[in-house]
Amino acid sequence: MAGMLEVRNLSKHYRRDDGTGVHAVDDVSLSVAEGEFVSVIGPSGCGKSTLFSVIGGLVGDYEGDVVVDGQVVRGTHRDIGMVFQEESTFPWRTTLENVAFPLEVAGMPKAEREEMARRFVRLVGLEGFEDRYPSELSGGMKQRTAIARTLAFSPKIMLMDEPFGALDEQTRMLLGDKILQIWRELKQTTLLITHNITEAVQLSDRVVVMSFRPGRIKEIIPIDLPRPRSSEIIATDQFGRYVGAIWQLLREEASRGMVEAENV
Amino acid sequence: MAEVSLERVTESERAGFLTTELRIQIGTILGVWASWEALAQSGLFYRDIVPSSLRVFAAMWRHLTEAEFYHHLGVTSYEVLVGFAIGSIAGIGLGILFGVRRFLGRVMDGYILALAPAPKVVFLPILMVVFGIGVGSKIAMAALSAFFPVVLSTVAGMHLINPTLIRVGKMFNASPWQMVTKVYLPSLVLPVVTGLRLGLGVAIIGTLVAEIKLAKAGLGFLAIQNYELFRIPEMYSVIIIIFALAMGANAIMTKLTDRLTQRGMPKVEVSGAA
Repeated sequence: MAGMLEVRNLSKHYRRDDGTGVHAVDDVSLSVAEGEFVSVIGPSGCGKSTLFSVIGGLVGDYEGDVVVDGQVVRGTHRDIGMVFQEESTFPWRTTLENVAFPLEVAGMPKAEREEMARRFVRLVGLEGFEDRYPSELSGGMKQRTAIARTLAFSPKIMLMDEPFGALDEQTRMLLGDKILQIWRELKQTTLLITHNITEAVQLSDRVVVMSFRPGRIKEIIPIDLPRPRSSEIIATDQFGRYVGAIWQLLREEASRGMVEAENV
Repeated sequence: MAEVSLERVTESERAGFLTTELRIQIGTILGVWASWEALAQSGLFYRDIVPSSLRVFAAMWRHLTEAEFYHHLGVTSYEVLVGFAIGSIAGIGLGILFGVRRFLGRVMDGYILALAPAPKVVFLPILMVVFGIGVGSKIAMAALSAFFPVVLSTVAGMHLINPTLIRVGKMFNASPWQMVTKVYLPSLVLPVVTGLRLGLGVAIIGTLVAEIKLAKAGLGFLAIQNYELFRIPEMYSVIIIIFALAMGANAIMTKLTDRLTQRGMPKVEVSGAA
């Protein structure tokens, strides 16, 4: 079955100026079907973010192929939209102007793009904050602005790199619900990168567990939980079993990462 | 912050319209003026070296009511503004280019850092040879003077741009021109404005120095011509007018740039009030 997004034998080495190198991603192959929600989870330093940057076209000079809807792509691509881990809203633009940014870049007339941006602002639950600047918003609201902005780009594939990484646990759970609600509505193919097991199980159809450096796929776990889901599902036994199984897989990798970090 | 402004309010209330700072400033000016006049009247100096302020004011009145003075003012303003515009646009443009093309930036850094603190007046003979002794060499001098502070602050600003915002622009397939207008320039407002303020100041200095050195028109030319004709009150008059104009230009620049930097940087009070 040909997926919406296919990663074929992807490897990426980073070379440093002193001649040493880091083997960040090693021979990763992954197929994501249209409308599927897949999470990639792994310990710090497993190459998750590198994988994200390569698929998004922000990092070049890699081996293997990224295939979107049957086409091999290099560089940034119209069908791939990204949400970054760090704060990425433009501080000089209001919420509405931030969300309208990709439409403005594409040359859409002002009235039209504002109307469309308003729809996505509502979708992420920020109505009433259209004219606020990022400095007046909380971290969670800024991340929702960034998510709305990428949704307004209308990509076929949403790539999210730990979009809630910098947020507190409660905000993270509520935003997870929001993401699920939006995903149900738009049925976008979504790839979420995370190091949070609960988040991965709560949101995904499949969870890809990666090994510590060089980043390889250790195992892919289908999450067979009923949808629609909400954050309440984390209290069920079945949910707990998935979390436990993934933690088993991750623990070994995470300790390898820790040992290496301490020896540096 | 709030405490400081609160203190100021009560202080100016106590003093009526005059704050203590303003009183001291006015007092200083009056003091300098009185000493000048006393020195002029005392006859200790040859009367044309320290002329009575009344003669300076009379000369100033003559200047300000003559059409010829406005011709010189027009020439200088034209030279400063055109030179400043050329130097600033070149400075911002190359600053962004050096920031985007990091390798080129590292190569050019050495030259810019070496040339920036050097007195630009050493280039004046070359500029006169190339552009003549008229308006051209003055514009070139103003442009050269304004260029360095603007390019330096733009390059410094480029190093501080949030790299994530650049990735966002690229991700949404912004063209190079859109990257400049929608990502780089808005990110650079603060450092560029600082550079422009410094740039205008040195553009005025560069123009006047060039006019004083060799010219056919302009306020600097007028000042040095009066000196050469030993019309000292007229010379002082021109100098005072130049001072006032330079201060005025700086004040206008501050007003304009304040408005620019406030865009998208709402004050805490604004959100509190809303």
